Amino acid sequence: MGVVTAGVTEVPAATPERPAAVGGGTPGTGRLLLPTTVIGSWSVPDWLERAKTGVHHGSVSRSQLADMHDMAVKAALKDQEVAGIDIVSDGELRRDNDIDYLLARVPGVEVRDAVKAFYFDYLDLELPRPLPEPGPGVLGLVPDLEFTLAHTDRPVRFSMTGPFSLSQRLRCGAYPDRADLVRALARVLNAEARALAGAGAQLLQIDEPLLAGHPEDVGLAVEAVNIVTEDVPVTWALHVCYGNRYARPLWEGHYDFLFPAVLDAAVDQLLLEFARKGDEDLQLIERHGWERTLGVGVLDVKTADVEPVDVIEKRIERALQVVPADRIVVTPDCGLRHVPAGAARAKLHAMTTAAAAVRDRIPKENT
Amino acid sequence: MLVEIRPAARLRGKNAVDLTAALAPVFGALTTETDDAGPVTDLSRLRVVADWVQYRNNFRTPVELRPVVGGGPPELALDLRGISGTGADAVTSGAAAALRAHHSGGAGSRHLTLEEWGPTRDSAIWAFNSLYWQHLQLWEEATGQGYESALPGGQSDARHLEPVRATIGKLFAIWDSLADRRALPEELYVVELGVGNGNQAGTWLDTFVEMDRAHGREYYRRLHYLMCDYSPHVLELARATVCDHTEHVSSFVLDAQRPLTSLAFLRFKVFFVYISNVYDNLPTDEIATIGQREHLVEARAYLPDTDATAIAAGLGIEPETLGALVQKLLRLGPPLLAEAYPQHFADVPAAVQFWRECWQALKLQERYVPLHGLDTYEIAPGISGELLRPLLATGGDVRMHVSNGAATSFAETLPLLHPYGRLQCHDIVVTDPHQYRSGFRGPGKYDGSVVNWVNGPLLAHIGARKGFDVSFAPFRRNGSNIITMTADVRD
Repeated sequence: MGVVTAGVTEVPAATPERPAAVGGGTPGTGRLLLPTTVIGSWSVPDWLERAKTGVHHGSVSRSQLADMHDMAVKAALKDQEVAGIDIVSDGELRRDNDIDYLLARVPGVEVRDAVKAFYFDYLDLELPRPLPEPGPGVLGLVPDLEFTLAHTDRPVRFSMTGPFSLSQRLRCGAYPDRADLVRALARVLNAEARALAGAGAQLLQIDEPLLAGHPEDVGLAVEAVNIVTEDVPVTWALHVCYGNRYARPLWEGHYDFLFPAVLDAAVDQLLLEFARKGDEDLQLIERHGWERTLGVGVLDVKTADVEPVDVIEKRIERALQVVPADRIVVTPDCGLRHVPAGAARAKLHAMTTAAAAVRDRIPKENT
Repeated sequence: MLVEIRPAARLRGKNAVDLTAALAPVFGALTTETDDAGPVTDLSRLRVVADWVQYRNNFRTPVELRPVVGGGPPELALDLRGISGTGADAVTSGAAAALRAHHSGGAGSRHLTLEEWGPTRDSAIWAFNSLYWQHLQLWEEATGQGYESALPGGQSDARHLEPVRATIGKLFAIWDSLADRRALPEELYVVELGVGNGNQAGTWLDTFVEMDRAHGREYYRRLHYLMCDYSPHVLELARATVCDHTEHVSSFVLDAQRPLTSLAFLRFKVFFVYISNVYDNLPTDEIATIGQREHLVEARAYLPDTDATAIAAGLGIEPETLGALVQKLLRLGPPLLAEAYPQHFADVPAAVQFWRECWQALKLQERYVPLHGLDTYEIAPGISGELLRPLLATGGDVRMHVSNGAATSFAETLPLLHPYGRLQCHDIVVTDPHQYRSGFRGPGKYDGSVVNWVNGPLLAHIGARKGFDVSFAPFRRNGSNIITMTADVRD
């Protein structure tokens, strides 16, 4: 069991037996209240979409695309820095979607047809035999992390799609009990996380974009999350949204399905969406006693409309009524992949402006 | 010379087109065309394209010459059906006249042009189309026929019971599943765009009530059926048809191309959207690849000289003032036109008669304008012409509809759908780009409205980019051209 450094605060690492009780903190942000961050994905420019699709049709080579990815990641980091984001991400711009980049690299997973009509489509993936015991870093994410760390001075949030969501896109006859597939994928992600931690990751995030459509499986998803985070000495975040593929929700219910199961998740931060759906679910946080860090989604990522700063301020303030400021991270509802770049930049700027305004008021209100 | 015969299916069989007889007078005109300096048309670069225009009323003449802006070789367009009904001499002289008009740059043409060149979706034909729906009651009174009688088979395809039962059964299954997981909304929305006379809505609601009683979950209590149509008159008729369901039905006058202007409050909330015979009636451009280069088809509406002269004479006005009166008709509609110009129209029926005569005579001239990159062309707001590239690159030159109005409507309707929602559309739909190479797909005149087949593969592309799988199936009525297009949430 390790101890991670979270800014200036020593934070006990979360474990399945004892989830991190306080803070969870945000590495590199010191004692900054209401730090701002992104969930992960960044607006994908049209030219990059065409190039990604072009690789499948032979009009763009893989080395050309790799160069474009490098440029796009650097630009995404710069966009976030200029917008004033405290904890940045690589924008997940190398990834075709939330599944393929990871799942197709899992040893033993076979691609039925590697050519896509459009890059964002999911690959048809199959697992004919049980997964072998994973070696360290088999998914090859370490170079992505290293590239990102080399091109920004800010703390980096690095995300991986969680084992439950990955399992949902895999044809699999290898495991009679599908839960065993989820656990096996979790062990692969755990090995990857260890490699990422060894490469300097301080904040790793598990995304479960498909969990909301399967509320009955939340217990299994949490069990798998705990396998992923086991003995990986970083700050861990878990993001569960209502779905954002094609900027559409996949579920129109509420977060009540998450509780109380998610209380057992060995993570330090829980990042949820509240902007589009409204803040009714904040009461769940209070009622179920989530005492770690809460990522509060304050930007609706399913519209290009830029929220006024005062609206975002109110969203943050409503969260402050149920969670103290030192346990809130301010975020968009989900990734900004589907938001046009100009709108994405404007949204982030509005969010950081609002967070700063609320932050400025906190000491005055406390004195 | 490149000769393209599109209606290949009509070249064989009992009623086969006599191609030799049809084309002989045309080629006769081409091979004898000369002026003092010799042959005028460079036959080595001429493209001859023959269609079979299946609409009895349409915007074509049997022989037309379409220029390519920028000096490319022109296209000689033939309507084999029109030619077969015309004497050989008339075809020869028509072809010769078309060639002469082309080489003189249109000088000498006495047609009454009603507008400047522009994309077809902006043509005055769409103003006529709008006029029809806005004043449908007047049109029906004048013709003595309800518009539904103009539909294939004389009735809306939406009245067949079996697909209605299947749709409702699927909805019940989804709702049961959501209810079991405590995720079923209190209000269950169904939207119909283009309600016709309300028979579809009536059949659907009656069937729903019957199936709901048998199902036993009381979904009817939570059901909201929203009828939407461009025509207040149509909505009024439809409301009368569904009077047994008044508490569950709301009606909205809306433009099918902009459903979100009225229905934005239903974003992600609608479980079923039904659209029947709407998309084929919305404005569209056509894009053509000629020599592998993309061109936009531009059009301008005109009244042929003889028709314009006759209509003007009937009103007692000079032909050259007729154009302004047509514009007034399109802007004001028949009732106000009659009020504004009592010297020409004794009453509203007289103005309606004027409208019908103009519509009957209305034709379209066409030309090709090169596009400098597909991304310079917008299919619908926020949807780049680049989306057409895979459809245009299906082997050889092709001319196809862009279905801009349908694309706009479709793209703006999909966001209404609940995560478990479905859109279903009954319409005349091209389901494979190759169909554009083998048949005429519009525009035609359908009663007082414009009709074009819908570019299904394009809508499928748009749907895919927005997270929907779009499938096509023939409608379950024998002999029908109607296609059932279904959009389901993918992944």
